[in-house]
Amino acid sequence: MADLLLHLNPGFYFIFAGILCALLPVNIVRKSLLVLTPVFAAFMIFQIYGAQEVISGVISVGPQELITLRIDRLSMVWGYIFCLAGVLNGIYGFHERCRITDSSALIYMGAAVCGVFVGDLLSLFIFWELAAISSVMLVWMGGEGAYKAGIRYLAIHVLSGVLLLAGAVIYGQSNGGDYTFGNIGIDAPGGKLMLIAMGIKCGFPLLHNWIQDAYPKASITGTVILSAFTTKLALYALARGYAGTDILIYIGALMTVFPVFFAVIENDLRRVLSYSLNNQLGFMVCGIGIGTPLAMNGVAGHVVADVVFKGLLFMSMGAVMLRTGTAKASELGGLFRSMPYTTVFCLIGAGSIAAFPLLSAFVTKSMIISAALYSAENSHAIKDWIVLAMLLFASAGVMEHSGIKVPYFTFFAHDSGRRVEEAPWNMLVAMGLASLLCIFFAFPWGGYQFLYSLLPYDVKYHPYTGDHVVFQLQLLFAAMLAFAFLKRIGAYPHERRAEILDFDWTYRKLGLGIVHWMSEMWTRLSVNISRVSMRLIKGTGQKFYHIFSPAGTMSQSTPSGFAAVLTAGMLVVTLIFIYIGAS
Amino acid sequence: MAKQKSKMAKAKLSDEAREAKERVEAHPMAVPFLWLGRKSVQDNFIFLPLIGLIITIVLGLVFPPEHEAPWDFFASWAVIGFCAYSAVVFSAEPLFKLLARDENYYGEGSDNG
Repeated sequence: MADLLLHLNPGFYFIFAGILCALLPVNIVRKSLLVLTPVFAAFMIFQIYGAQEVISGVISVGPQELITLRIDRLSMVWGYIFCLAGVLNGIYGFHERCRITDSSALIYMGAAVCGVFVGDLLSLFIFWELAAISSVMLVWMGGEGAYKAGIRYLAIHVLSGVLLLAGAVIYGQSNGGDYTFGNIGIDAPGGKLMLIAMGIKCGFPLLHNWIQDAYPKASITGTVILSAFTTKLALYALARGYAGTDILIYIGALMTVFPVFFAVIENDLRRVLSYSLNNQLGFMVCGIGIGTPLAMNGVAGHVVADVVFKGLLFMSMGAVMLRTGTAKASELGGLFRSMPYTTVFCLIGAGSIAAFPLLSAFVTKSMIISAALYSAENSHAIKDWIVLAMLLFASAGVMEHSGIKVPYFTFFAHDSGRRVEEAPWNMLVAMGLASLLCIFFAFPWGGYQFLYSLLPYDVKYHPYTGDHVVFQLQLLFAAMLAFAFLKRIGAYPHERRAEILDFDWTYRKLGLGIVHWMSEMWTRLSVNISRVSMRLIKGTGQKFYHIFSPAGTMSQSTPSGFAAVLTAGMLVVTLIFIYIGAS
Repeated sequence: MAKQKSKMAKAKLSDEAREAKERVEAHPMAVPFLWLGRKSVQDNFIFLPLIGLIITIVLGLVFPPEHEAPWDFFASWAVIGFCAYSAVVFSAEPLFKLLARDENYYGEGSDNG
């Protein structure tokens, strides 16, 4: 039995627990499963993985072999962080009594863990789709307003899965039926299709809107859970299949910059965090594109840090929403008086994402930026320097939307007059643990060294050099000064309630409009076609009646010479048709 | 001068009255930090990053960058941080005019209250 467990993908424990949760009416048992399953799965990863790559759980389906378990240094990082996120999410949602959320959350986490631990593209496709189907429940639990967003979310993710499958089949067939998931590359047959599939899930520019559409509409716990898994699974797939693909450098750089401009005008703070998520994904996609060991370590490290600090920020906004009923910046302010612990945790999350020294992204994001700097130094290419400049610009931009805007407009700014209770104990425990991890992963004495021990390559990067600390602080203090200065002179924009248009306008408004117009045109066209055809049939019938009926022209007495000519003419036409038909 | 002094005294008085009321309503852990809500504190917040910036600029002379980018010069990271942040903020107004619509533009209601 114990031997069997060593060959089982740890993600299956989540899926079994999720199915069990759907049947269990006792809330406390379900909640215990939510917390204990990730702990057990992490323990099993530790048991299975030694120092060498492990391949096991091979299943034959017809002529095809599916590798259900492959653990190496790359997948191990994702596996552990997914389990950690599972524990934090389980604690955070302890107060909630919802069987659907508990069950779908576990199945969703399980699909993500299975996805990173499978060894072939067909198995990846199965868990890719399972993650989409199970996670849409979390969106729908957001209430009536989330229904349409959930449908769009599902449609986009199913499309992503279909593209992945199409690409995988083309790739596998060109490889003689070998579907092993390794380095694919953009030039491989089916490679572009799979890159687009991963790009959809990863939030590439113009394919990103599902994040800002669905995440802010999901339930409070649902948003926190969603933020940790889907996009990170896609990042894993990119890191596995497309490391060192140049185009990802530019896509990633673009991803870091454009969300900054949307986040500054967005009023819904959970949507601001969704843009911020997009921005952080950009750093990681860029790192995958660079593909050097330092960049890949930076990507894996930043995935760990991002799951924790982005989860923490979503948790704090969730706690605020639970107590106040809103996450609109224009409706909030002054909450540090009522929710002091949540304020401190949110500030730690904000400091972490902004990469303040002693907080997690200071170590991990800097590895990616340093890799971009070394790459530009080596190549001397202007495009590489532009990429670096974009990353630096985005670092200051992060300070704007997540470092300052979210905590300032929620907990400080003008006093909204709301006096509410502090968040429930379980939310505080989850946020407290996440805050501790944000500090631990950047702690100079044993903290970041522990993080390094998990990364896929040996690390020689020292984050706490004098110049790094000084220049990073210079950037952040300057951004804070700009905020304070612009606020003082009244140039900082007020928060206003509005719907901010993004690229999803093309399918939610323009596309839908075109479909409605085409449907309207089709209805009119079909009415007109039937009217014209009815008139034509009626007219032809009347004409025949006039000619051939007993009272018609043919029955009237006409000169026999004319009737003979007419009959002969009809005979000739008939003969011509027969001749053509026969030949 | 006397007018300004009386204005400041009034502001201080209103701050104290507000804080006394807040002390009753606030979370016990937040009480020692209620001064963060004072207008004078928020107005003078600018000095914190300013002092931090001056110190780090001076320290930048002691710890020059190991790897230089083409745009690196004295206090270049401070200039980048300030300009990038300002550019983002100044883009907000034209972008809002261009992209903002009524909250129920898509006919799905406004989410999150």
